[in-house]
Amino acid sequence: MFESVDSTAEALQNNHYIAERSLATTVYLALRLNKPLFLEGEAGVGKTEIAKVLAQILDTKLIRLQCYEGLDVSTALYEWNYAHQLLQLRLLEASGASRDEMESDLFTRQFLQARPLLQALEASANGNPPVLLIDEIDRADEEFEAFLLELLSDFQVTIPELGTIKAVVPPVVIVTSNRTREIHDALKRRCLYYWIDYPTFQKELAIVQMKAPDVKPMLARQITAFIQEMRRLEFFKSPGVAETIDWTAALVALDQQVLSPEIIQDTVGVILKYQDDIELLTRGGIPAILDRAKLLVERS
Amino acid sequence: MTINADKPLRSYYIPEGTLYEGGKLTENLLLFGRLCRALGMDVTPLRMVEVARALEFVKLERKQDIYHTMRALMVSRQRDIALFEEAFRLFWRMPPQDGTTLDLQSLGEKRNQKKTQFLPPPDASPDDAHEAQDKPAIDPNLIAIVPTISQQEVLRFKDFAEMTGEEILASRQLIERLAWSLGERVVRRYRPGKGRHVDLRRSFRSNTRFGGEFVIMPTRTRKIKPRPLVLLCDVSGSMERYTRLLLHFVHTLANSMYQVESFVFSTKLTRITRPLRFKSIDLALREVGTTVNDWGGGTRTGDSLHDFNYHWARRVVGRGAIVLLITDGWDRGEPDELRDEMRRLQHNCHRLIWLNPLLGSAEYEPLTRGAQAMLPYVDDFLPIHNMASLEALAQHLWRVDWKR
Repeated sequence: MFESVDSTAEALQNNHYIAERSLATTVYLALRLNKPLFLEGEAGVGKTEIAKVLAQILDTKLIRLQCYEGLDVSTALYEWNYAHQLLQLRLLEASGASRDEMESDLFTRQFLQARPLLQALEASANGNPPVLLIDEIDRADEEFEAFLLELLSDFQVTIPELGTIKAVVPPVVIVTSNRTREIHDALKRRCLYYWIDYPTFQKELAIVQMKAPDVKPMLARQITAFIQEMRRLEFFKSPGVAETIDWTAALVALDQQVLSPEIIQDTVGVILKYQDDIELLTRGGIPAILDRAKLLVERS
Repeated sequence: MTINADKPLRSYYIPEGTLYEGGKLTENLLLFGRLCRALGMDVTPLRMVEVARALEFVKLERKQDIYHTMRALMVSRQRDIALFEEAFRLFWRMPPQDGTTLDLQSLGEKRNQKKTQFLPPPDASPDDAHEAQDKPAIDPNLIAIVPTISQQEVLRFKDFAEMTGEEILASRQLIERLAWSLGERVVRRYRPGKGRHVDLRRSFRSNTRFGGEFVIMPTRTRKIKPRPLVLLCDVSGSMERYTRLLLHFVHTLANSMYQVESFVFSTKLTRITRPLRFKSIDLALREVGTTVNDWGGGTRTGDSLHDFNYHWARRVVGRGAIVLLITDGWDRGEPDELRDEMRRLQHNCHRLIWLNPLLGSAEYEPLTRGAQAMLPYVDDFLPIHNMASLEALAQHLWRVDWKR
């Protein structure tokens, strides 16, 4: 399946992910070199999606860790099950165990609750490594980044009471970032880096047709061209591919055959999420952009 | 009348016929001139040279005559007379007297009531160590009533725009010694400490030695971190005289504080965070010099802020950052755009502080279109024109209530 760049691109395509050649190459390398893949890009360009697709292709589990500020060991890696430990403690007391026995009996694997990262390390025991998605790492703080370093370079973690737990087969790790913060070089260095850009017209059209099979071809072309033209304007948040797909679904649901300035105005909330941006679009003249989009459709 | 040849007059025109002898009078005159200028009077260094010449013609023993000579030359508006009189009284008086600093400060405050968060003008304090060693210039009587001020004091009040290379280096040492605080923020990460949340993990471990009875309950508390800082410094033509020192200031902050992002702008915005990482200022400035290619251009604050808001704000202004915007408010762009971008910038950051070198002159009113567009959206509007104002700024930032 992942013998070459070509087969990787094909596998992605067969699983409804249309990737640039460069992305397919990077994914292929990440799998071959057992290195985490660090994906950066604007929101809605398909960073998270690639992890899901990879899990599908590899027919394995997807373990997802959504990052946020203050994310710590007990939510990301493991937590002792205190209630069970307490019960065990009472039992040991009743049986008259010594203090050393208590210590060694209380901190064993059975009382450890695995959180996503530990799950990912342990899930490969059967030889089929899972896909570990560390989503939006820019939302976490530097402390968490530092803590990931051991995991990403050696695929192991150290638990003071138990020792080091190492993955039998390294999981496939995808780290995504929306770049709301600079990620430290030390972390990036351990990964393969890829910047996902907005797709070209042809690529985006293919994505739209794949994600919304019942859309009329003309409408799909117009939608894609309109979004492509919109990205030339400077919005605070340009519409991503996710917005294109949502918009297509919305227009199909509204039973539209072609784009018109009125319907664009009515559905603008699907593609633009900032009031300033909506004003900019209205000021820029929806009909004018639509005309340019139609030109683009004709030319292609 | 005498002019001290080796000190501050170097760069000014010295009229012919001026006597060159050692002494402190000229220096004090210039300092007094600067004080008056800081208080908003229209006093140039050249005018102070004229004052020095004029004093040749009056009897220095008569303080009243000196007063009127000076007033005639230094005050050009009726409303400044009372202020001048008080400044004269406080400055030219017998040295052994307490409260100089406070008095001079209160002098400034009278002027500044109408401004928002305006810092008091630099305070002057006599330096006793220096006093005895200099020989009287011409008239012992006059010298007796003149408190002499050390070189460092002179440096403190010297406008950045007028500093020589050596003085900039000396100021840099002063800047480095200042203690900066830009506020802290309680983050969502916990650490062991007094608090309401029981630390289960530590509780469990520390209580096993009591055989499982929960005797002690360690707690945890939220961690506190300094806020990230973003510096936006105007390097356009109108700021040229300040640029060199302000870059020293930016470099010092960038190298001494947690998470600093620095940008300069004139017609467009350039990020200089990476060049400034060099510890050596010379190396850093050389790097900055090659990175930035619109030094001393026109000012397009609106465009630059637009660029910042759209391409950088999301990356560098998160996590409750403080933004220091250093500019004189002269702007050639569209005030409407500037207003929009200022509003957006203020919404995105925790606190927006505008540092303006022109604000050092009490006469300055932010009346330009650019300044008018910016003012409603800044949280603090503070001067940055000499060392004393920097010290005051550092102190002010310690006192600020960081909630807004």
